[in-house]
Amino acid sequence: MSKRHSLHPGSSSNTAAPPKPPVHLSSSLTIADSTLLAGTHTISLHGETVIHPRARIESHLGRVSVGRKCIVHERAVLGAAPVSSSSAAAAVVRRGGGGDGASGGDGAPAGVTLADYVTVEVAAVIEAGETVVGEGTVVGVGSRVGAGAVIGKHCTLTPHSEIAAGEVVPDSTVVYANGMRRTDKRGVAELKNKTMARQIDMLRRMIPSNPAKFA
Amino acid sequence: MSSRRAPRGEYIETDTGNKVARKATLVGTQNIMLGGKTVIQPEVMIRGDLIRTAQAPSQAAAGAAPNNTAVSIGRYCFLSRGCCLRPPGRPYKGAFTFMPLRIGDHVFVGASTVVQAATIGSHVHIGSKVVVGEFAIIKDYVRILDGTIVPPHMVIPSFSIVAGQPARLIGEVPEGGIDAFELRDLYKTVGNNPHPAPV
Repeated sequence: MSKRHSLHPGSSSNTAAPPKPPVHLSSSLTIADSTLLAGTHTISLHGETVIHPRARIESHLGRVSVGRKCIVHERAVLGAAPVSSSSAAAAVVRRGGGGDGASGGDGAPAGVTLADYVTVEVAAVIEAGETVVGEGTVVGVGSRVGAGAVIGKHCTLTPHSEIAAGEVVPDSTVVYANGMRRTDKRGVAELKNKTMARQIDMLRRMIPSNPAKFA
Repeated sequence: MSSRRAPRGEYIETDTGNKVARKATLVGTQNIMLGGKTVIQPEVMIRGDLIRTAQAPSQAAAGAAPNNTAVSIGRYCFLSRGCCLRPPGRPYKGAFTFMPLRIGDHVFVGASTVVQAATIGSHVHIGSKVVVGEFAIIKDYVRILDGTIVPPHMVIPSFSIVAGQPARLIGEVPEGGIDAFELRDLYKTVGNNPHPAPV
């Protein structure tokens, strides 16, 4: 009985696995074994962040930086290629005009930056192109954040929300029901962060972490 | 001789009649209960690893073995390609815990749907690209149309039809519309040697 060779790339030693992206992983990071990291630019994941299985982080277009105490759920994609060329152009325009210092130190042309306490829900997509998501923001299930969009602090994007490329969303905005907007005036940001810290505490015990695989 | 071996089917068929696609992602399989005759299509993801950490006080007092079931699914359920089942989570007594996700019999879950409900009854049809929010409770004979977003903690009564973002009640299942929820025929149309669908 000869051993059956798997068709999956990287699972057998004689197939050339794609090169691993350079990573900068915190020691307190929780990253599941089946997370996919791909690309050529640096991926930095900061302390106490939790990455669920089957999340995808791509740095083909630029550096991806995830802040502290973030949760990236399964099947979420950070740094996806923009769907339309106009969105990429919007990102370029914004970068030429602003240049707000969000880009990484390695001269990243078009990456993704998540601040602290960001939740990226199941199957949400954040396109690459100097996209910034502010502190405490929740990107809902299956949402799509266009290239170059800048989302403020403590925003809530409800499931299947779409943020256009290059759009700037002010702090505490709630995007709901096919693009309606309102401002969250509850002022529960502190409480939300506290709850999230507890959730992370538990997820760290629950999800087997294997940062060594990606280093 | 190994070349004579029958090609491996797309599905793994268990003794109890479950048909689980090889390309489905089941995390924490020991915490997933399948009632039998359930179809799990490729690219489905079930998060069985998100188990309950805080035990109910009655159980803790009795010293019973902790019940770790994260997702329980009844008979004749159909999980379409790309859907995702995950248990809902919430803070409980100062700590965060996940709660089990219970699904009844004859439940259809459409493609690319994400379910984080607490309970789904029997004979429920959930369309494609639906999001069922955390701790939603869906009773029996409910139809959820495509693209619906069921907000967290919503309770959907029996025999309702819901749609919209967020979900609203838009109608009722008619008197004779109950047979449409039956999934026995659909079960036979998938698997390693499927039967054609009845006309």
